[in-house]
Amino acid sequence: MNILKDKVAKLSFVALLITLTAAMFYTPTASAHGEKSQAAFMRMRTIHWFDLNWSKEEVAVNDTMTISGKFFVFSGWPETVDKPEISFLNIGIPGPVFIRAGSWIGGQLVPRSVSLELGETYEFKVLLKARRPGDWHVHTMLNVKGGGPIIGPGKWVTVTGSMGSFVNPITTLTGETLDLETYNLSNTYFWHALWYGLGLLWVAYWARKPLFIPRSIAVEAGKGDSLITPLDKKVTLGFAVGTILIVAVSMSSTNEKYPITVPLQAGLLRGIKSLELPAPTVAVKIEDATYRVPGRAMQMTMTITNNGDSPVRLGEFNTAGVRFMDAAVAQDETGYPDDLLAEEGLTSSDNSPIAPGQSKTIQVTASDAAWEVYRLADLIYDPDSRFAGLLFFFDAAGNRQMVTIDAPLIPTFI
Amino acid sequence: MSASQSAVRSRAEAVKVSRTFDWLILFTLFFVVLGGYHIHYMLTGGDWDFWTDWKDRRLWVTVAPIVSITFPAAVQACLWWRYRLPFGAVVCILGLLLGEWINRYLNFWGWTYFPVNFCFPSNLFPGAIVLDAVLLLTGSMTVTAVLGGMAYGLLFYPGNWPIIAPLHVPVEYNGMVMTLADLQGYHYVRTGTPEYIRMVEKGTLRTFGKDVAPVSAFFSAFVSILIYFLWHFFGQWFASTKFVEAA
Ligand SMILES: [Cu+2]
Repeated sequence: MNILKDKVAKLSFVALLITLTAAMFYTPTASAHGEKSQAAFMRMRTIHWFDLNWSKEEVAVNDTMTISGKFFVFSGWPETVDKPEISFLNIGIPGPVFIRAGSWIGGQLVPRSVSLELGETYEFKVLLKARRPGDWHVHTMLNVKGGGPIIGPGKWVTVTGSMGSFVNPITTLTGETLDLETYNLSNTYFWHALWYGLGLLWVAYWARKPLFIPRSIAVEAGKGDSLITPLDKKVTLGFAVGTILIVAVSMSSTNEKYPITVPLQAGLLRGIKSLELPAPTVAVKIEDATYRVPGRAMQMTMTITNNGDSPVRLGEFNTAGVRFMDAAVAQDETGYPDDLLAEEGLTSSDNSPIAPGQSKTIQVTASDAAWEVYRLADLIYDPDSRFAGLLFFFDAAGNRQMVTIDAPLIPTFI
Repeated sequence: MSASQSAVRSRAEAVKVSRTFDWLILFTLFFVVLGGYHIHYMLTGGDWDFWTDWKDRRLWVTVAPIVSITFPAAVQACLWWRYRLPFGAVVCILGLLLGEWINRYLNFWGWTYFPVNFCFPSNLFPGAIVLDAVLLLTGSMTVTAVLGGMAYGLLFYPGNWPIIAPLHVPVEYNGMVMTLADLQGYHYVRTGTPEYIRMVEKGTLRTFGKDVAPVSAFFSAFVSILIYFLWHFFGQWFASTKFVEAA
């Protein structure tokens, strides 16, 4: 008998361990550090984030900060990724360390999914309210249905204070002000505890009497029906009627307490306004582009034609959030993340101003460790080996023009 | 010790052993069901059960009873036909909800910091209690499937309404109407759950106007009946003992 007992006890213990592990395995995704593992072509040829600004580097719990900027929905969107017809402006943070107090595209609040057009530039803003202290990498992010998350540049932000002091006051349309952080919590615990208690009572009623072996013997002997007494039936009827009564009464008292409720709000938001950008007066043609693996540098030969009325110079090449700049023409003044900024990463064979009407072929080199660190060089292993990015030209008055480039890339290994 | 020798020496000892056995089996049953049922429910009901902004009048109401009547039907079949015990459904829900609460409290809240008022599980008890009661009172699988399955589907929404109604109070937020539940989903950032994967308020029931919840509940109740039959047979098959003749 003891052997049997031991065996059952052991089995029970194993079952307990397995089930506890199973019950605990699921945690919603909290990590936001997928930026480097995302295929290079996804980052280079889908959404181009630019003019980004993180309003603060340190923020106290309950204080807010914004991340604002623009994104260009690339015209040469890869065929392997679904078009952003259903997309959601997200924010790449490890779980709700901030709450998203607001997010806008083109001035429209976007709590739901939106439809975006290829070739358009959109202005966006995300308002975050700090909730949990720590150092967090805060990324811009756009989820595209059928394409997955497209993660943009990230910057470290420090949240100070304590999460215990976080509050989230909301005023409803019925005029009540509540703290969404803890609202309805005791009500939830109350009903769950009540019903769990009733469930336990039901099992306890049957577990008072011998359960398995004697009942099994009786059933095998064909006397199963004698196991149910008239009292059992009465108690059961009581449980059934009681359950229905509690449901009915609690439902009607809830309706009295909350006479005004609306269904969950859902549905795609269309007609998001894009930025009206004047057509660029600079035309760029990529003659060839090579990536030198040992030098971590990309070299492009391009013909630039200035159809405008003031001389322009090339100041920046932006791809996948990495900014290669020519310090002589343009500098970053927004505190852009260091690891994504190559302040002197852009050199030209001739960067003298291109006069109106003039056309010039120059060699441009974009070099920085970021090619390797951000695994952009992996581009050379893509099936169609193309690269893409934004070029920014500046005139003497500081006016900026944006030109998109999209061309094949050839690696050189020596 | 020969094989024919009894392990117990007196009736009193037999009763005691039998009782110990009861508790061991009940304990094991509880945790095995907890594990299997919890995984099944997470894979099939998943996000509808995780988040308040998925708990709508159409799909949650339809999906949750259909996918959750499975284990209760099977365990009922085993416990009733072999032992005439009518707590199969409730034991399942006790296990499932314990597992869910551990998961939501430790992982969703403790590890990832989603507030519990946003990620609590659905209440499945009213339907389960009635399901067990019908089985005991009628002793018939068919009646339990039809009446019990129906009740299981129909009691789900009203059984959860006292918990979720407060979250369906409307808010005007930066010029848009949202429920508090929508706002929870918007505020508490889920990087892995973009808004468009949310399957709520979709379907062809719009012609029923305001009263979609009862229609969804009836549909769910009807499918629950079918699923009950299916899983009841699974349970019976699983609980049957087959002796193989020695060659
Ligand atoms: Cu990061």
